[in-house]
This record gives sequence, C-alpha cells and structure tokens, in this order.
Amino acid sequence: MRRTMLAAVCASIAASVVVGAQMKNAGIPRTPDGHPDLTGVYDLAVLTPLERPNGMPAVLSDEEAARLERENVDRNRALDKAIDGNRSAPPKGGDGSVGPAGNVGGYNNFWLDRGTQYAIVDGQRRTSIVIDPPDGKVPPLTQDARQRQASRFAQARPTSDQTESNDPGLEPAGAYDDPERRPLGERCLLGFGSTSGPPVLPNYFYNNLHQIVQTPTHVMILTEMVHDARVVRMNGKHVPSSMRFWMGDSIGYWEGDTLVVDTTNFTDKTRFRGSTPDLHVVERFTRVDAKTLKYRFTIDDPKTWAKPWTGEYTWPATTERLYEYACHEGNYAMGNILRGARLREKQSTDRQK
Amino acid sequence: MRKVAMFAAGLAFAAVPAVTLVAHHAFGGEFDPNKPVLLKGKMIKLEWVNPHAWLHIEIPKADGQQACQFTPNMKCEEWMVEGGTPNTLLRRGITKESLQAGTELVIDGYQARDHSLNRANGRNITYPDGRKLFLGSSGTGAPTDGADPTEAPKGRGRGGR
Repeated sequence: MRRTMLAAVCASIAASVVVGAQMKNAGIPRTPDGHPDLTGVYDLAVLTPLERPNGMPAVLSDEEAARLERENVDRNRALDKAIDGNRSAPPKGGDGSVGPAGNVGGYNNFWLDRGTQYAIVDGQRRTSIVIDPPDGKVPPLTQDARQRQASRFAQARPTSDQTESNDPGLEPAGAYDDPERRPLGERCLLGFGSTSGPPVLPNYFYNNLHQIVQTPTHVMILTEMVHDARVVRMNGKHVPSSMRFWMGDSIGYWEGDTLVVDTTNFTDKTRFRGSTPDLHVVERFTRVDAKTLKYRFTIDDPKTWAKPWTGEYTWPATTERLYEYACHEGNYAMGNILRGARLREKQSTDRQK
Repeated sequence: MRKVAMFAAGLAFAAVPAVTLVAHHAFGGEFDPNKPVLLKGKMIKLEWVNPHAWLHIEIPKADGQQACQFTPNMKCEEWMVEGGTPNTLLRRGITKESLQAGTELVIDGYQARDHSLNRANGRNITYPDGRKLFLGSSGTGAPTDGADPTEAPKGRGRGGR
C-alpha cells in the first residue's frame, strides 16, 4: 500500500515535470508518457563539415550559404554532364586520384548523395559541427595518442614487400596482409568514418539515413551504413567494464525534454579519431520542431585529447526510406584487394629467387 | 571579394577531401593503376548488391570463352564492373529493372590487381554517346535539393527556425 502511494506521488511529480516541459515546447509530438517522440527516419547528409575549413566564419549569412549551396549544385550538375563516348582508356600509371580512390578513381558521381545544404542550428547556418573548441577544430591529439598511432602504424606494416610503398595507388607495405588489417567499414562490420557512432557523424558520401525507434524502456538507433542497430537502455546502469562493444554500451535518461545518452565500454577496434576503449561519449537529442532533432555530442577521452570537446548539428526528418545494406552479400572488393596482395607477394618472392 | 574567394577556397577544401578521402574501401588496393581499360559491350547482368553494385558486360572477342548473348554467332568475354551503392539510386526511383540487359555501355577504369580477373572499377560508366548512366546526386534527382531557389526548403536547413 505504501509502495502504491509512493508510486502515485512519484507519478504526479513526473506528470507535473512533463506538463512543465510541455508548456516549454508545446508544438512537438510526444509519446503517451509525455516525453518528446523522437521516432522517425532522419537524413544526416549535410554540407557542414566536422571541422571548420580555414578562413571560414563560424556562421554563414543566408546569402553566403545560398551561394555556396548553389555552387555545390552546379558542381554536381557539371559532374552529371555527358562526356566523350569515344574516349580512350584512362592514363597508364593512374589518374592521380588520392586517398582510397587510390590513383584509379572511384566511380561516377551519380552513385553519391552527399547533402546539399548547411546545417541550421539555433537559426545559424554553421560551417562546422565542432562548436567547442570555438575555432571549430577537433583539438590536437595528446602525446600519448600520437605515440599509440605511430606504434599501431609500425605494428601494422611488418611483413610485406617494401616495393608496395613505391606504388602510389597502394597504402604502405603490409596494409593488405590480412582482412583484419583492413578498416571495419571495408570489412562490412561498421559504417566507414563514424557513421554508426557514437558520435553519429555524416559520412559526406552516401546512405546517411538513421532511424530512431523509441519505447519507454529502450531507444534504438538504426544506421543504414552498414545496417547497425544501437540499443539504448533507458534509466539503466552500464554493464561491467569487462563487457566491451564496438558501438559501446549506451544508457539513456531524460533531462527535461532532452534525451541524454551516455556511452562507455568501447573496444580497441573502433578508435574514433584515435580514441582509446576508455572513450566516453555523451549525446543529447532534442526535438526542436515536428521534423527536426538537434544532436549534440561531447567526447571525453583524456588519453587522446587534453580536454573534452563538443559538436552539434541537426537531424532533419525524411520521408525517404532506409534500406537494408547487407554489405557482406556483395563484398567482392575485399577478395579482390587480398588477391592483389597475394599476387604482389608472389611476384616479390619470385624476384628474390 | 577577397572574402568571397576565401570562402570558395574553404569550401573546395571542405568538399574535395570528402569525395576522395572517404570511400567504402581502398580502390588502390583492388585495382591496378598500370592496367587502364576501356570496355565497350552490352550489359548481361546487374548485381544490385552492397557495398557496391556490379555490372556484368559481354565484349565480343575472337578468342572469347562463351557465346555472346546479344551479338549473334560471336564469342564474348565477360567483364565485371564495380559501381557504388544501390541504396541511393533506389531512393531516386532507380531499380534493378531500370537498366535492361542488352544495353550498350562504354566504361573506362582500371583492371583488378589480379589480372586473371576480368574485373574493373567503373570510373566512368556511360552510354555510347557519353551520357552518364543515371541522374546525379543533386540538382537533378532529389525532390527539394536546393537547385530551385523558389522551392520551399523541406529537408536540411529548417532546424530551429
């Protein structure tokens, strides 16, 4: 009986808190328990980069943003234009493309969906997702983090043919020695970059859709690339530190109308921008209107950055559908990459004979 | 004016690495910069799969290993060409059925590092007249993509206003 009364008192306090919150932000959809309803599919593709490019102000005027967005459209239109049907093969020795496009180019622009507009947060058209530090840049790595990276690099390249390094299309020697040396994205295990998160970031390439499903006890965030579901336990406690997860262990609670998600217990596999398994991510989801969420995250990992840093951008709802990714189904690329490496090893051995 | 140029430079700096540095996998590990190819043939199959779609084409060749499906009384060699993710195209209404078998294509790219494989990246996939295979990622396909300034913003860009 006492317990029932206590529950009733708690419920009435909770209800008054919820009523207060409703008055504060009345126009947003809510679940039957009174919390903002975050359910929906969101397209995170955006022009705003994680870090502010040098020389850009923190906020663009409407006119500047419109002009830059227009230029982006024009660039895409130019890439869509017909080319010579009687063209010859690309140049021998490579086409000079850098990064993973590895001197052989990638593929046509029509496959991509990078976003067309800048994120508008609190009425400001932002030029970086990072807001703290105020220069919009991710803080420099600690000495410890730089050493870890250097030793990982050295460790990852002990065995292979040194001639690999002379080919501009290839990563340093040893990078293709076995599938476990390839990035998680390439192995179809997690989206490349920090698409799955946390923190959830746009990949500036394609398939930036995320779906949120919300119940009173759990919130699920489904990421199209590579079809990863992160389940947030509401009002739970973190699992013991011996239990580790690629996307960490996420627990959530409501702070007024904001869903706060606290994630720890990472592994050494994901390494967000060089972080350790001690990475601690706090995400804050706030519904700013019926079709927009504001997403803010704070990154804390003292072994990697001297102090925590924060970013934020909006998640606009989309009526588009999120599709299954089924990455392993057709990942011929991994086989082709490893076959290429085995062949180079054989050639190297043959040369030494 | 100088400020404008600076913005433009800043944007180019922001946009270019996004195109070239981020991709699903290491193309340089998969394809050989010293084996450029130009492939002219007809599509026989489209593998509408992730992480990358693969187009199969047949190219008439005197010493081809199989009978051509679309060129009578000829032998053909089969090639596989790597594209991007089908999901973005699906959202633009393009399906596996949008490209019919028998469609003539011109593809330039680089052959797989293992030369025993008739596989190449679809650096450019076009029709014989040079038109790109599908419509692009923005300015053409998306319903509200910012291309039309009179169009009310629908997706990105609304937040908090």
